[in-house]
Amino acid sequence: MAAAVRRKSLGYMKRYWVLYAMLLLPVSFFIIFRYIPMNYIQIAFKNYSIVKSPMEMEWAANHGFEYFIKAFSNRDFLYALRNTLLLNFLDLVFGFPAPIILAIIFNELAFKRFKKFTQTVAYMPHFLSWIIVAGMALQLFAPSSGLVNIMLNKLGFESIPFLNDSTNWVITYIALGIWKSVGWGTILYLAAIAGINPELYEAASVDGAGRMRNIWHITLPGLRPTIIVLLILSLGHILGSEFDRPYALGNKLVTDVSNVISIFVYNYGIRGLQFSLSTAVGLFQSVVGVIFLFGANALAKKFGDRGIW
Amino acid sequence: MRLTKFLTILALCSVFALAFAGCTKSKDSASPSNSSAPPASEQSSATPSADEAAAKLEKLGLDANLRFKETRKITVEIYDRGNTGGSKPEDNVYTKFIKDGMLRDHNVEVTFVPVPRWTEGEVLNNLLAAGQAPDIGVTYSYPTIQTYANMGGITDLAPLVDDYKDLLPNLWGYLTESNINWDRDPNTGKLWALEARLNVLNRINTFVREDWLKKLNLQAPTNLQEFENMLKAFKDNASTLLGKDADKMIPFSTSFDVGWRTDHLTTSFVPDNITDKDLYVYGFDDRKLLYPNYKEGIRTLNKWYNEGLVWKDFPLYPAGDKTEDNLMKAGFVGAFIHNWDYPYREGEDGITANLHKLVGPDANYIAVEPFPNDAGVYRKFLSAPVDRKVFFPATNKEPLASMFYLDWISKLENRVYLQFGEEGKTHEKMPDGSFKTIAATDEYIMNSPANIDYTITSNGLDTGNPDLTAKSIANGYAGVDARLIEIANKITTHDGRVGKNAKAGEIKAEEGQGEALSKKRDAFLDQAVVAPVDKFDAVYDAGMKDYLNSGGQAIIDERKAAWEKLYGSETMLK
Repeated sequence: MAAAVRRKSLGYMKRYWVLYAMLLLPVSFFIIFRYIPMNYIQIAFKNYSIVKSPMEMEWAANHGFEYFIKAFSNRDFLYALRNTLLLNFLDLVFGFPAPIILAIIFNELAFKRFKKFTQTVAYMPHFLSWIIVAGMALQLFAPSSGLVNIMLNKLGFESIPFLNDSTNWVITYIALGIWKSVGWGTILYLAAIAGINPELYEAASVDGAGRMRNIWHITLPGLRPTIIVLLILSLGHILGSEFDRPYALGNKLVTDVSNVISIFVYNYGIRGLQFSLSTAVGLFQSVVGVIFLFGANALAKKFGDRGIW
Repeated sequence: MRLTKFLTILALCSVFALAFAGCTKSKDSASPSNSSAPPASEQSSATPSADEAAAKLEKLGLDANLRFKETRKITVEIYDRGNTGGSKPEDNVYTKFIKDGMLRDHNVEVTFVPVPRWTEGEVLNNLLAAGQAPDIGVTYSYPTIQTYANMGGITDLAPLVDDYKDLLPNLWGYLTESNINWDRDPNTGKLWALEARLNVLNRINTFVREDWLKKLNLQAPTNLQEFENMLKAFKDNASTLLGKDADKMIPFSTSFDVGWRTDHLTTSFVPDNITDKDLYVYGFDDRKLLYPNYKEGIRTLNKWYNEGLVWKDFPLYPAGDKTEDNLMKAGFVGAFIHNWDYPYREGEDGITANLHKLVGPDANYIAVEPFPNDAGVYRKFLSAPVDRKVFFPATNKEPLASMFYLDWISKLENRVYLQFGEEGKTHEKMPDGSFKTIAATDEYIMNSPANIDYTITSNGLDTGNPDLTAKSIANGYAGVDARLIEIANKITTHDGRVGKNAKAGEIKAEEGQGEALSKKRDAFLDQAVVAPVDKFDAVYDAGMKDYLNSGGQAIIDERKAAWEKLYGSETMLK
């Protein structure tokens, strides 16, 4: 019996060893570049020193949690945390449905050429870096020299402080984010729509369903698994924070809303050389991200969807 | 089957490659011991007849001319400014001059390690953390060095400068006791960095459009009221001054860095009799934010902003943005406070040259002195005569050779060559003996003004003769009326109070705070300037409170304690 199993597994390995050999490279990539660096998570719990390896560094005070306590007693960090949550939440509420709506609109376009053209135009902003977008935003929205405000003034309206008032800045920030990513975001949804069986639409039309009914009862349910997966993935980033977007778009007048965790880490950790503090903050972000990811996945499964694993 | 074969070959190849790499490595590690063996025997055989000094040199591996008997290798940090049309910072005419000189005079082989100028801090962090930092490092930020020193990453220079003093005449002669021991800790005696010498203390000037003054029949303002009246006159006469562009008028311009860009204004509100103790205790912020009465200067700017006298968009543009420069070049800006020679810089691309092109040949910015303080003195707070900080990382294996490098680069003839370059290429000698720089475009092009990136122990022109130096500075601004330079050069240090060294050692509370606090300062000053007049106090006070609570107060307290420990009730430095 045992011998038979052994012979079987030997035969299996003989047959498929090439595939395993091919797996070796990606696995070693993850070990070297993803798992070994995790060793440095220790920095969050230790007093960092450039000349020592993380193993030799001394433990930080308060059972190693010194830097977590420091972060959470730092007013700037708490504000950064609040701003990160605020901006990411608004991004999710307004930014997440946008590509779904756009994809459905694209799908309903009758002229194929026009559809292709608008799609391409909608993808374009994705390829611009935030630095360029921020430069354009300044050219357009600056209070006295921005194009939009000059036009408003010419038409007899007051300038709108798009960038220099906290509330307006948040709106501009979210709107620019949608503008930049909405086209690119449609790709997955359009692919999912293409996978929906056309016979369903035909049958519905025969039964007298109009365009809106088709969208509501066929297209949206067809998109559901894609939407769920993308939603779970984006919930994993709820505490993650981009650096270039708030950093490039921000200015000194809106620091009360534009200072997010990544900017905190940059100012205190990288510029201020407080590596333990910024590692602690980064670890905290990752842990919250993982919790959200698992939570969302469990919730999705509970409601009868497949989730991501 | 084919794939299997291919993979097998691949695996075999990689095994060979690894083995080969291993071989070369072992060869590498073997060779130094081979080459270092003979000098060792040479050393022992040559010692007997020498006297004490010679014996010391012998012990250090030097001959009588301070050349190493065996070639030493060091690496030196060099800023990479990424200039368009510039040369490679680590390999050009000037690096060759240094390399040849060091090899000739000290038998030291120098390799330059380029570090991007604008992300200097981050790159140095990485190099230090990876143990690959150059043997000689340079930075403007002493806190960076202090932080790494606390982690054990920096070499203590105290024993080096003391023990080798007689071997380093140029270094000691040029930097002198004062700059060399500037950072020596009074408690521990450790010395983590040498302070380069700042030859020219010129810092900031207040500029106004000379041609506008003439057009409106105004005298150069000599006090705050006159300055304010002038700004109002600019605004009221916008259509006279700018014609159809009248709506673009900016009487006074500033940037997000309000601290720097209102320096003369805020300084005039600081009491004239401020003590050295207060200058030290409240001196952490390099924009003087904590000096007494600073708020009133910002209040003045707030008032002007609300009267429409200040550029409306100033807080939106980040550091390095050219929008404000372009407004000056186009002739829309009436007055501003900035670096002492700001409108005269950059020759053909500069503000003055563009003003001449776009507005007219008589359009010029002229430096004025409109802000007397409570004693009627046009006070300027100048920096101390220190500049960049030179340090050796703990990984430096050649401290003596590195010290020789600093000595060599401090030698007058070497400094002068690096500053002015080759005659006929980058400068010409004027009849009075002064230097006039020429903009070179060929291989002699300098990547930094007067090659300051190479003269790491020196910043600012120095010919060794103060008179010639002053003339050479004035010669340095092509296309700008020498009269304007002379005025700017005179005013910027007039009634100046030069920074002094309290020698109080490390202030623990400052560690890691610099960046976060200066970001805070910029943000709350900007917010206070644009606030409505009746909200100014609330915004400013809230910002200052946050600044103090976030570490500012702790720094003040620790500085105060350090001063009192050293000087007791004394309030002035000798």
